[in-house]
Parts: sequence; structure tokens; C-alpha cells
Amino acid sequence: MIAFILLGALTLVGAVITVAARNAVHAALGLVGTLLSVAGLFASLSASFLAATQVIVYAGAIMVLFLFVIMLLNANAPVRGRDPVPFVRELAGIGGVVLAGAFAVLAFTYKDPRPLAEGVAATRGGGAGPVGEVLLTRFLLPFEAVSILLLVAIVGAVALVNRPAPQPDGVADTGGLTLPTSPDLQSEALLPEKVRA
Amino acid sequence: MAPTAYYIALSGLLFAIGMIGVLTRRTAIMVFLSVELMLNAANLALVAFARAWGDLTAQTAVFIVMTLAAAEVAIGLAIIVSIFRKRETTNVDDLAGLKG
Repeated sequence: MIAFILLGALTLVGAVITVAARNAVHAALGLVGTLLSVAGLFASLSASFLAATQVIVYAGAIMVLFLFVIMLLNANAPVRGRDPVPFVRELAGIGGVVLAGAFAVLAFTYKDPRPLAEGVAATRGGGAGPVGEVLLTRFLLPFEAVSILLLVAIVGAVALVNRPAPQPDGVADTGGLTLPTSPDLQSEALLPEKVRA
Repeated sequence: MAPTAYYIALSGLLFAIGMIGVLTRRTAIMVFLSVELMLNAANLALVAFARAWGDLTAQTAVFIVMTLAAAEVAIGLAIIVSIFRKRETTNVDDLAGLKG
């Protein structure tokens, strides 16, 4: 219970920093705090494999990618000017309070179906062994589908940011890569001026 | 051992904070960070229910959600970098070309 209160408080502090920080790097570091606290909460729920995955994949790989792009784009400069949507802060605040309230009501009307110790015993600590067993038997097809999805994501990410190589004498030198260089994003779709013209 | 209800309430709070971020932040990257908060809130609820029911299915789902989040971040950040190269901005208010 003490672990839950501590980790829960850290999670919420990190989340508030993420949403409220002016500086994008501070926001990303706040999110790292939240992700690590959630990993701790996973461990307190006896899901040790997921806790480790959360630290490695989320707090490690994904956040490095985020920080890299934030620094690459120099996205630290705060956005100036008024928000074009009227009362967006007030409405979002009211919506958030209503949503959190609804969740709280739902949560505290929920009764655990059996003693928690039984559930912990049934998940066998949630280590890599038990989780892998379920993943590679009952959920083998989704598991393999995810590998295809990751491959598509890699190809897609490379295709999106791949610049056309300079062509000195009309000969295309794409360095072995013959992927199209994102015709959609290079087209007029994102340029309203041109669309209207 | 904290009861499941506490974890679900925390998950709801986390989701609400993420939603406020998505609605109020105006840089594409900050909107994206808030979406990650909401994904984590959902994961937390799933793991809490996995313990309550003693079923590893929910933990498997969380594992797959994490993988999807990684793929989503890679593609999303690639799109943001692409847009930045073209428009020199990632302010979502300026990127209203698909508004119709």
C-alpha cells in the first residue's frame, strides 16, 4: 500500500510535468518519470516481465527517440499567440475532471472477484516464463502479426524521412534503397495555399 | 496489497491528465507525449485487472500494446520530422491543411 501511494504520487507528478511544462525537454523527462513509476506499479502488481519491458522499451528506446527528435527539431521554443479554439483550456479542464470523476466512480464500485493473493498466485509472478508461454501458444498469431507490423513500421519510417539523393547526371543513386520518398507528404496535401490556388 | 479499485482510479486520473494535454498543447510532439500518457493509463488498468482475475491474457495484451506504441512512435516522429522539413513548424494549428 505504501509502495502504491509513493509510486502513484510520482506517476501523477510526472504526468502533470509532462502536460504543463513549457520546455519540451522537461516535459519528456517528466514522462520518463511517469514511465518509470508505472514500471514500479507493474512490479507491485507482480508483473515483473512487463515492468522490465516498460523500463527497456518505453523509458529506454521510445523516450530516446522522443528526446532525439525534440532536440533535432529544436521544438523547445514555446508557441506564441492565442489558441484559435475558444475556451479550450477551460473546456479541457472540465472534461478532464468529469472523466476522472467517472473513472473514480466506476473504480470504487468495482469489487475484486476473488482474493488478490489468489490472482497473484494464478499469474505466477508474471515473469518472462509464464507470459512467454501464453504469448507463444494461445497468442502466437497476434505475436507473429506484431512482427510484420514492426517490419512495416521500419520500412514506413525510412520511406517517410528518406530524402531523394542528388542526381548529378540523371542517374538515380539511391544507395541501394529504391523506396518512394513519401509522395503524400511532399505533395500539396499539406499546403493549403497551393490547394486553394 | 492495494485493491484493484485504487489502480483503476489512478489509471483514470492519468488518462484524464493525458487527455487534457492532447486538447491543450499546440506542438505536435507535446500532443504525442500526452498520447503516450493515455496509453500507459490503459496499460496500468489492464495489468491491474490481470492481477484481479489471475489471468495472463491481459499482460499479453499489454506486451502487444507496448510493441504497437513503439511502432506508432517511430512512424509518428517520422511524419513530424517530414512536416517540419516542409513547413518549418510543428504547431498543430498551422497544420490544418486537411481540415476540409
